[in-house]
Amino acid sequence: MSTATARRSTTLPASPIRLTAGGIIRSEWIKLRSLRSTIWAYAVILVLQIAIGLLVISFTVNNLDSSRGQAILQSPELATAGATAGVVFAQLVVSVLGVLVISGEYSTGQIRSSFAAVPKRLPVLWAKLAVFGVVTFVVSLVGILLAYAVTYPILANAGHSSNLSDSAVFLPIIGAAGYLALIGMLALGLGAILRSTAGGIAASLGLLLVVPVIFTLIPVDWAHSISDWLPGSVGPAIYQMSTTFEWWQALLIMIGWIAVVFAAAATLIRRRDA
Amino acid sequence: MIEAHSLSKKYGPKTAVDDVTFTVRPGLVTGFLGPNGAGKSTTMRMIVGLDRPSGGSVTVNGKVYRDHAAPLHEVGVLLDAKAIHQGRSAYSHLLALGATHGIGASRVHEVIEMTGLDTVAKKRVGGFSLGMGQRLGIAAAMLGDPSTLILDEPVNGLDPEGVMWVRELVRFLASEGRTVLLSSHLMSEMAQTADHIIVIGKGRIIADAPVVDIVSSATTASVRAVSPRAAEMARLLNSPDVTITSIDGETLEIVGLTSAAVGEVAATNGIVLHELTPLRGSLEDAYMNLTADAVEYRTGVFDPANALQPAAHADPAKVDAPHEHTHAASHAAPTHAAPSGPEALR
Repeated sequence: MSTATARRSTTLPASPIRLTAGGIIRSEWIKLRSLRSTIWAYAVILVLQIAIGLLVISFTVNNLDSSRGQAILQSPELATAGATAGVVFAQLVVSVLGVLVISGEYSTGQIRSSFAAVPKRLPVLWAKLAVFGVVTFVVSLVGILLAYAVTYPILANAGHSSNLSDSAVFLPIIGAAGYLALIGMLALGLGAILRSTAGGIAASLGLLLVVPVIFTLIPVDWAHSISDWLPGSVGPAIYQMSTTFEWWQALLIMIGWIAVVFAAAATLIRRRDA
Repeated sequence: MIEAHSLSKKYGPKTAVDDVTFTVRPGLVTGFLGPNGAGKSTTMRMIVGLDRPSGGSVTVNGKVYRDHAAPLHEVGVLLDAKAIHQGRSAYSHLLALGATHGIGASRVHEVIEMTGLDTVAKKRVGGFSLGMGQRLGIAAAMLGDPSTLILDEPVNGLDPEGVMWVRELVRFLASEGRTVLLSSHLMSEMAQTADHIIVIGKGRIIADAPVVDIVSSATTASVRAVSPRAAEMARLLNSPDVTITSIDGETLEIVGLTSAAVGEVAATNGIVLHELTPLRGSLEDAYMNLTADAVEYRTGVFDPANALQPAAHADPAKVDAPHEHTHAASHAAPTHAAPSGPEALR
């Protein structure tokens, strides 16, 4: 600790260092993977997908005596329904993680270090959005594919067959993973607006769980139609477990939600003191 | 080089920084000195664009901070030792920070070694002591090999060895021609580290000068004399250049005369002195004088120096150490060396 005698000789590259978009994305990737909460959340998502898929398919196969059961067995969506059954629960975990990705920086003061390094600020938000979106999509996809794989033999045993190269099978699987990524991104945006972990989680889980209930309690038609447009309601349409919208319509609605939330988040981040 | 022009910051109705203009030059350690709440941190945050100025502007090396192509190479900043995610290791924190600028693992290892964090680099920051947090904050500030360093209360929470280390480090960095701005609310710390001091109080610049000028202009030497015939003494000593303050019936504080002169006047006139103490204003006094009107949060009248007085009688040497009282000229016994207690009564 004798002060830094020959310290001027640094190993910085000879070419001047500079702030780059790629660098900011790498930085966010390092941040995401270096926290235990990330590892835990993604592990829980994987386990949930597999466990709930197994549970749903085993239960279905073991209750096939009735004629209704036989009808279910013949339905082409059975395999994907099993593989994506965990999404309803995984979306809660993804939402919490999405909020934490940004609120964790505000609650610890890390955001000041981040914005001092990237004083234009918004690149940090976009990099977080991209990195978290992609990683969540990949992890969710892996989870759903694993759920598909572990339930496949059970279904084959019971006489139901499906093929992953069939678009009726792979589109919903990709859609479900995409939905989880999008719902996580929405939560990240709410976290950026509210800057608090508790507030962000309350807002994003409230939007998924509480707001739809409120709308169903209002006994008028328009309330029900609005309810159809909520993120949690359009989600199943993306992975074709609901018929209120075509999957691509549902996708556009979700992107619309994210666009609105991030427009607000970006405006606030630019204006506010960090 | 940091240049602030009419920089202001208002939080609602409260003005934290009020029309501040100053320049921080390279090659020097510039101390940013002021009481808590004076606006030091706010000013520093505005320099690196974390707080948006309500008025005025501030540039680093001629440009607004956010317009630089490599901000971390321009300014290294320690704003708050706790501006780090508690769940991440020191190494990961630095790696992520550096990645934004394409700074790799080898430089991260370098700053970790430089700050003596080798053994804890892989541990989570949440378990760090305040001192380790400060070292990590300094490591982060050094990461981009910046030409300007801004360190907010860098010695806060450091042990004496760490304080020495920071002091030597900033002096070394300035000697390399870098611009160094560090803040403190401790005048004594500044006097040992800084070349130049900017004193701020209630959001305004009170003084901006080389450290020696600040100290000499703000300190006044005085003499305390205790005598049963204090009133008579005061009359004898009175002259236009001399200011005499009567603390109580027997105690005088005399500004403008040496203790030798006071002692001789007493002897000539046969006046008994119970005490004769030269009081040299310390750096802390200088600072108190400068910021007396600009203290944001004033404590009550209780002064720990007064509470210490009985102990001072028993063993003057102990209490004497931190103050620059000299006894060589004391004619009268016993020497009373309580720290500037009566000043609180002025």
